[in-house]
Amino acid sequence: MLHLVTDSTSDLLAEGARRRNLTVVPLTVRFGDEQLRDGVDIDSATFYRRLVGSPALPTTSQPSPEQFAEVYRALLQAPGDEVVSVHLPAHLSGTVQSATLAAREVDPERVHVVDSWTISGGLQLLLDLAVRERDQGLDAATVVKNLEGRRDRVTCYVLLDTITYLQKGGRIGRAQAFIGGVLNVKPIVSVERGEVGPAARVRSKQQGVAKMVELVRGNGPLEAISMMHGDAAAAAGEVRDRLTQLLPELEIPLGQLGPVVGTYAGPGSVGVAVLRPG
Amino acid sequence: MPSADPGAPRLSLAADHPPLLEVGGRHMSYGLRTSLSWLQANQEVVNDLNVFPVPDGDTGSNMYLTLRSAVEDAQKEADSHSAAAVMQAAAHGSLMGARGNSGVILSQILRGFAQGLAGSPRVDAAGVAAALQEAQSVAYKAVMKPTEGTILTVVREAAAAARVASDGGGDIRAVLDAAVREAHAAVERTPDMLAVLRDAGVVDAGGFGFAIILEGFARALAEAGGDVPDDSTPLRAPRRVGEPAVRPPGHAEVSGAPAEGRRGAAAVEAREEGWGYCTEFLVEGPGLDYERLRDELGALGESSLVVGDADLVRVHIHTHDPAALIAAAARRGKLAKLKVEDMSAQHHDVLERASATEASTGVAAGAGLAEPRKAVAARKPLGVVSVAPGAGFRQILEGLGVDRVVEGGQTMNPSIEDLLNAARAINADAVILLPNNKNVILTAQQVDQLAEGIAVHVVPTKNLPQGISALLSLDPTADAESNCERMEEAMQAVHSLEVTRAVRDSTANGKEIKTGDVIAVLDGKITAVGAEELAVIDEVLASLDFSPELVTVYRGDAVSAADGDAMVGALREKHGGIEFELHDGGQEHYPYILSLE
Repeated sequence: MLHLVTDSTSDLLAEGARRRNLTVVPLTVRFGDEQLRDGVDIDSATFYRRLVGSPALPTTSQPSPEQFAEVYRALLQAPGDEVVSVHLPAHLSGTVQSATLAAREVDPERVHVVDSWTISGGLQLLLDLAVRERDQGLDAATVVKNLEGRRDRVTCYVLLDTITYLQKGGRIGRAQAFIGGVLNVKPIVSVERGEVGPAARVRSKQQGVAKMVELVRGNGPLEAISMMHGDAAAAAGEVRDRLTQLLPELEIPLGQLGPVVGTYAGPGSVGVAVLRPG
Repeated sequence: MPSADPGAPRLSLAADHPPLLEVGGRHMSYGLRTSLSWLQANQEVVNDLNVFPVPDGDTGSNMYLTLRSAVEDAQKEADSHSAAAVMQAAAHGSLMGARGNSGVILSQILRGFAQGLAGSPRVDAAGVAAALQEAQSVAYKAVMKPTEGTILTVVREAAAAARVASDGGGDIRAVLDAAVREAHAAVERTPDMLAVLRDAGVVDAGGFGFAIILEGFARALAEAGGDVPDDSTPLRAPRRVGEPAVRPPGHAEVSGAPAEGRRGAAAVEAREEGWGYCTEFLVEGPGLDYERLRDELGALGESSLVVGDADLVRVHIHTHDPAALIAAAARRGKLAKLKVEDMSAQHHDVLERASATEASTGVAAGAGLAEPRKAVAARKPLGVVSVAPGAGFRQILEGLGVDRVVEGGQTMNPSIEDLLNAARAINADAVILLPNNKNVILTAQQVDQLAEGIAVHVVPTKNLPQGISALLSLDPTADAESNCERMEEAMQAVHSLEVTRAVRDSTANGKEIKTGDVIAVLDGKITAVGAEELAVIDEVLASLDFSPELVTVYRGDAVSAADGDAMVGALREKHGGIEFELHDGGQEHYPYILSLE
């Protein structure tokens, strides 16, 4: 039997994970000395409240190889059991590294680790397809091959209220072209092929909403789409309404950017993830 | 109607002289020098013929600086006996030095005139008429939407009159006399052709400037005999056109002061690399705060020597940015005896000779030559040059990804050469140029033809809010074409509100404007007039036919941070639905520039 594992940067709430029959390994977010498991010990609402009030920015850390090893051992009970473990990009976190070490330790033949090249809502789009394939009875090798074949078709756009969090968190990547301005600029960054890059700059939330829709439209017809927000329900709702008009045939789920992703996006972020057809 | 020339025909160039049948390069050079002297004397008159009552009256200065650059090159021409060679050199010089719309069009007139001479070393009356004809034709082609009632009309009418006169006989004086008379007559008719001139009660400044240039040229040739020496001093123009109306030929006083042969101050601004510029000038009072001047200017360079008193201060500073130095000094007093010397020039010459030798002998880089040009920044695919006034805007633009900011704007239009130097200094395959001023767009559009090896694209931003809006959509990883497309679209999404004080009485859009009134210019149109800034801005914001979400306020150099805060605070109170942001723009003449999004 094939088991799917992911990490908490997929931003699947406990309910979502249960429904998909996924095991979620949490990263850790740390306020000072206080360590909190992402999405387990702290939820999004609490996190953003604390983020705004916190004198120092929180930090995050990847799960230890041991955490992964425990999960993998628990799932590999029967001889036919296999694990596909799908995670956020190696460019952004050492999570894939930990998972790979654990796989080697536990059973490299039966545990397959995949760098999804994406995060949050984008990771969800890939997981949903893997879940469907698992349920159709496809084997691990095929599911891995399909994941690796479609991960370059996913792009996330994130409208940030400020680039400060991304910059201070050291995850800015090529979006550093957006740093250094005197003007208050709201950047839109992209995450694709595992890297953060610059997508657009706007001066106001309203322009941001319009630009997000325009960026999504630039992808042409879509296979699937999902949305996330970090304490920005109103703006996210506006983007979603406009996208619903643009893409009436697609369902657009709207979730929350969790604590670890929120550490880098900051409060007031709106994300859209798209999956282009193959 | 106050006009430049209340007098009747002032010229009678052809009288009492034997016919002038043929002229060569020295006549051309002498004519141009006299034109320059004529224009210099009347520069302020031309500047004052301002259509808008906003302080952008620099047509005279722009034409003067353009023509000065033409004269410099004409005088350097080795083949000084050839009319065509001298005019060709003048045309090149004018293009390099062209500033502002009128300067660019003047450069095209000179280019056409040179083309019209078709390589002839000597030219007769019919040839002069033909060259003027070609001049008007080239000038019209240079302008995308030619407007009548401008310099274009004046050059066309002058050319037509010259052609008719050239049919009547072979005297070049008679041809030029007819052209000058018709040019001035056409200037007088410009208000009938352009409503904006009629409303403002002025004749067209560029057209008038051209008429003066032509007049100077004609007078020089009227004075000249069969030949003129290379170094003959130009005729001195009357201080104001129309005052001592006509100096009868033969009685003109000859000025001891030749036309200046110095580089324009701002013309050197963009070349920032190297060892800087030795910059010297006088600041004239009265009422100079000498110590403040010393501290302010001294901070802008090295080897500074600032000496003097409340009436006159002499400045000598080595700086990498003479334009900033000059701009800072010009705010405190009137500048004179400006001299800017490129201390890197010698070094550059050496490098150029070295690379020429390298190229001709086929020496590979690194083979013996110790890579002398390694200091140049790595070549990149795309760079951005932006024009902006003030240190605040410079910082903002640099923060948005501009590689080179060329100082300039409303009252100091940069030259083609300034922009070209900035584009070259980036060392990029393609450069996007943001003029950020409607009077700089035409200049910017001439850069591409001179920038060998660099594809220069102009995104025609008319003001700074448009420029900033365009820059926000810059994607440094994409190619120039797709960036230009995006930037042109983005610049449309912003409205610009510029607030200044009227420099003279006028009417515009049915509004009476008195000198000193605060006027608000929304997207290029005067929309509100009043006594103080807050009320005027408030009036515009209350009557918009769109509802901005964000208003960014850029305060000028004359507005303190506290005053800016107070202004924005008051605006926030009155317009609760709008988000306001205040930034230091540092621009001159415009206390506030607002960007409405």
